[in-house]
Amino acid sequence: MEILYDILVKPFVDMVAAPDFFLQVVWEGLVSGVLYALIALGFVLIYKSSRIFNFAQGIMVVFAALTLVGLYEKGVPALLAVPLTLAVMYLLAMTIERVVLRPLVNQPDIILFMATIGITMFLIGFGEIIFGGENKVMITEQLMIPTGSYIFEPFGGFVSIEQKDLTAVVGAVVLVGVLLLFLNRSKMGRAIRALGDDHQAALSVGISLSTIWVLVWFIAGVIALATGIVWGARAGVSFALEVIAYKALPVLMLGGLESVLGAIVGGLAIGILEKLFEIYWGQPLLGGNTETWFAFVFALIVLLFRPQGLFGERIIERV
Amino acid sequence: MKTLLKNALMAGALAAGTAFAAQAAMAQDSIYLPNLSYRTGPFASTGIPLMNGQRDYMMMLNERDGGVNGVKLGYDECETGYNTEKGVECYEKTKADAAITQPWSTGITLQVLPKTNVDKIPVLAPGYGFSPMADGKTFQWAFNPPASYWDGASMILKAISDGNLDNLEGKKIALLHLDHPYGKEPIPLFEAMAEKHGFTFLPIPVGLKEMQNQSAQWLQIRRERPDFVLMWGWGAMNAGAITEAAKTRYPMDQFIGIWWSSLDSDLKLVGEEGKGYRAISWNVPNSDSPVMQDIKKYVVDPGKSLINQGEGEFDWVFYQRGVMISMMLVEGIKAAQEEFDAKVPTPEQVRWGLENLNIDEAKLEELGMTGMLVPFKTSCADHTGHGGGWMLEWNGSKFEKVSDLITPDREAIAPLEAEKAKEYAEANAPWPVNDECKM
Repeated sequence: MEILYDILVKPFVDMVAAPDFFLQVVWEGLVSGVLYALIALGFVLIYKSSRIFNFAQGIMVVFAALTLVGLYEKGVPALLAVPLTLAVMYLLAMTIERVVLRPLVNQPDIILFMATIGITMFLIGFGEIIFGGENKVMITEQLMIPTGSYIFEPFGGFVSIEQKDLTAVVGAVVLVGVLLLFLNRSKMGRAIRALGDDHQAALSVGISLSTIWVLVWFIAGVIALATGIVWGARAGVSFALEVIAYKALPVLMLGGLESVLGAIVGGLAIGILEKLFEIYWGQPLLGGNTETWFAFVFALIVLLFRPQGLFGERIIERV
Repeated sequence: MKTLLKNALMAGALAAGTAFAAQAAMAQDSIYLPNLSYRTGPFASTGIPLMNGQRDYMMMLNERDGGVNGVKLGYDECETGYNTEKGVECYEKTKADAAITQPWSTGITLQVLPKTNVDKIPVLAPGYGFSPMADGKTFQWAFNPPASYWDGASMILKAISDGNLDNLEGKKIALLHLDHPYGKEPIPLFEAMAEKHGFTFLPIPVGLKEMQNQSAQWLQIRRERPDFVLMWGWGAMNAGAITEAAKTRYPMDQFIGIWWSSLDSDLKLVGEEGKGYRAISWNVPNSDSPVMQDIKKYVVDPGKSLINQGEGEFDWVFYQRGVMISMMLVEGIKAAQEEFDAKVPTPEQVRWGLENLNIDEAKLEELGMTGMLVPFKTSCADHTGHGGGWMLEWNGSKFEKVSDLITPDREAIAPLEAEKAKEYAEANAPWPVNDECKM
């Protein structure tokens, strides 16, 4: 009986008993969720337009953040370093399209997936030669990202909200908004979606595959830079940032590989739920560190009922 | 561009160094000393300064003295990325000519331990690995001087209890640790001490993927309100924890790390906010010491070092710890040369040398390292030496020594070491023990 009480009743009693702490948990989960959603977006955009699962998204985050910090360390003003980093990411997108993707057009998906693993390995080695493996400090203040915190005192307790976390959430919302506008309202955005819907049909009406691929990889690079700035501001910039890409996998399973909305909703849901589970069930009952597996188990359960994910396209094939 | 060129040259230099070491291994006037290093991957930031320190000390001896008693030190790195499987591959790749192996990870150490009984190669794991390796009769090929993780845990408890562990009764002590063999290593000791002295012990694991986002762990700390948070962190986890501690406003003077959580560049991420954070350490940096000045003269100034001078790596605790580690190895080789009258000692002879290290104050002075390392002495029965450590404190820009020498409570640790060593030997039977050791 006691175990049932601990599982079914006590967590909710704890939430009500310390509502300020509960709000803090939800906020931290929301911030994590926004960051997961950002990473997942990079995957979705590339998959949507080319059916390539881009294994290199994680290392692109590291590469973008290291380029930004590296340029600043070389004396480039922070606000100029941002567009220069974007230029580097554009160059990277062009190079990937020209050297890796174009020769592999029409190859099976698994070949293209393996190619992105190759890109990952190359960027790790290349990045370490250029930037070294040491920790670097993100240029948070130089980018005019506020670093203080707001303290609220609801219910007789306190909730602390870091200004840089708040900036990350606002920045992510703006970025996603612009992205959605671009995808839905612009000619190029519609071309990306057309390519995602049907390659052959899109090509037949004159949409250039190589132009769209460069564009999509560049947008993924922009998202990688935004993600790198936000994560780097939390704990420094190093190659360890690469592992956060794995946190996007359950988000993609949950939200669906083709859905921008799925990436956002999936990211937020997983961010908040894994934090609540860890604090109210994982730590008291399972010794903690449930964040390493909770999201995957949760996504798997959802997949049992919706194999295409919450927002993925249902594929029906006639045989 | 300059950095690009410099890093490319460094990579070239490392490759050339490897080739040189391989050639050196074949020669009669050199001794092959492989190091299972990690300069890449999520833990690179902690590995790089340590490897640089190890490499530069050996290079300095080669440049200044022509090696050790006429024998060049063939230092060679095999990159593991702190990955256990790659580490085992590196061990297998380098063992043929090796006089020593340095696994550089508790996980790799645990994997190669049984192999070294067969290959008869000493394992040097200073300040890491399996704590019961101190039992030299059971772990005859493994060495973890000058202090084990259990020694470190004991020293930290001594420091926070003002020397009397009974003062901790009723207190709550959290251990924020990497969810990895390294991070879990001190748990048995903390559990035993908690039971004996009446404090609550709360382990808080941090997964590899959560190293940079420890909000859940620090929410738990906020909820549990421990009196002290101790940290067994590595790589990006250290920086993540210190950032979260500052964010959570956890009192820095109640936050104490093991020696691998004292990397200058981690603390530089938080700067002033990290003021008051402490870590136990068995080495203290002193850039003005004769040994460091010689490294500067023979290695750094001629541009042969791989250190990041712009970041001040020369002065870091970790860089100079790498120097101390190479010194322990070289002193073991020197002892073996002297004892066996051998120019290039065999791995068995190097093992004897490491079992007969006597790094006392006089020796440290002779080596130009006064006050930089805790004095210690090994024997066939004691492969650690249990020299103790000092508490270092971050002052906002660098670490400073803030305590006298703290020694571990050997009376409490030794029975646990003996018990776990016996358990290990029984679980891995038939496990050879050193019956010749009569101590």
